[in-house]
Amino acid sequence: MTFQPLKSPTASGSPGYALPAVRMRGVVSVTPERRLTNADFVERFGEDVVRDVTKMVGVETRYWVPPGQTTSDLCLIAGERLLKQLDWAPDSVDALIFVSQTPDQRLPATACVLHSRLGLAPHCQAFDVGLGCSGYVYGLWLASTLITAGCARVLLMAGETSSLLIDPDERGTALLFGDAGTATALERDDAAPATTFVLGTDGGGAGNLIVPAGGFREPVQDPRRTGPFNPEHLFMDGGEVFAFTLRAVPRLVAETLAHAGCAVDEVDAFVLHQANRFMLTHLFKKIGAKPEQAPINIDRFGNTSSATLPLLLTTDLAERLTTAPAKIALVGFGVGYSWGAALMQTEPLACAETLYL
Amino acid sequence: MDEFTSGLAEIFEVDDSEISPDFDLESHNWDSLAIVSVIALVDSCFGKLLNGKALAACRTVSDIQALTNQAEAA
Repeated sequence: MTFQPLKSPTASGSPGYALPAVRMRGVVSVTPERRLTNADFVERFGEDVVRDVTKMVGVETRYWVPPGQTTSDLCLIAGERLLKQLDWAPDSVDALIFVSQTPDQRLPATACVLHSRLGLAPHCQAFDVGLGCSGYVYGLWLASTLITAGCARVLLMAGETSSLLIDPDERGTALLFGDAGTATALERDDAAPATTFVLGTDGGGAGNLIVPAGGFREPVQDPRRTGPFNPEHLFMDGGEVFAFTLRAVPRLVAETLAHAGCAVDEVDAFVLHQANRFMLTHLFKKIGAKPEQAPINIDRFGNTSSATLPLLLTTDLAERLTTAPAKIALVGFGVGYSWGAALMQTEPLACAETLYL
Repeated sequence: MDEFTSGLAEIFEVDDSEISPDFDLESHNWDSLAIVSVIALVDSCFGKLLNGKALAACRTVSDIQALTNQAEAA
């Protein structure tokens, strides 16, 4: 069986891809034990700044890792719980994909370390994907292509410890981000209808959301740098990123629905990357989603980068997804710039849980 | 008062009557939150997307109006 890209709806439109026979079985999210409320930021920024930023980004609480805890520590707990709940033997997993921009070390791939810690079999492939806000959709895409190629069971782990990248004195980012680790189980099921994917990139926006130092272009801070910005911290040009989002996301959603032949009101939930509440409200309006199709949990968890979509599945959508079939549009967008959407039909999940450490 | 003017007044936390072409942005907390809010406002009112960096360089309301007039449709 071969799969052809779906024809573009317009000459300038993106191709879509329809991958059948892939079923989501369960999702587990894990948040670290340090819970910070906005009151914890008042001493540093003052009440007025905290109130103004909160009015815009909409974060009331977020969870941050304590010293020494990593994304993979959180994902490991999620993965162990998920395998247990699904009754999947570790040696039945054919592939492990770890999506994160905060891996444990520069090498080896964190997926290899997680492979060992989960006790997976030697035949199981394991690799990392270095994407953020769009990363979960890319992970679903890769898992689906692996299943199309012959894998039976894939574990997708996505998470971030952005709290370790932010400048604690930068109000625009310090209040926005949270940490979380997640695990999602995907399995071959010949009865599953196709999931429709649309993916894209605009690397011209790379500099607008970036941690410049710590790679090999600038391993430590370049002494020629001037100004107060520490390149080991996250830089975000909020205006540019917001303008990109307004350009890219409504089009992405429209193209994905067009490829799938699906109307806006046929979608049970638009699961959008929880970037910022103001942005989400505006995007939902442009998409034409009704409040009941438009879950928002950024108030409780902040922006957890690649973990925001699974975290929505295990919180606001958990009861819905474990009790009835659902048609969900998963939409990730941001750092890169990179974006992706997946329109997926789910059967009741065996497990959709959030563990609070 | 039109939607754009009252939207600007809300963003800068002033009375609608204070919004004029010469309204000075710098002295009214013209920060990234205000910029993002104006991008959304212009998108809602006129269906146009402003460039973030060009918007940040605006000094007055008339600068924003000029930028909006030459912006691409959303």
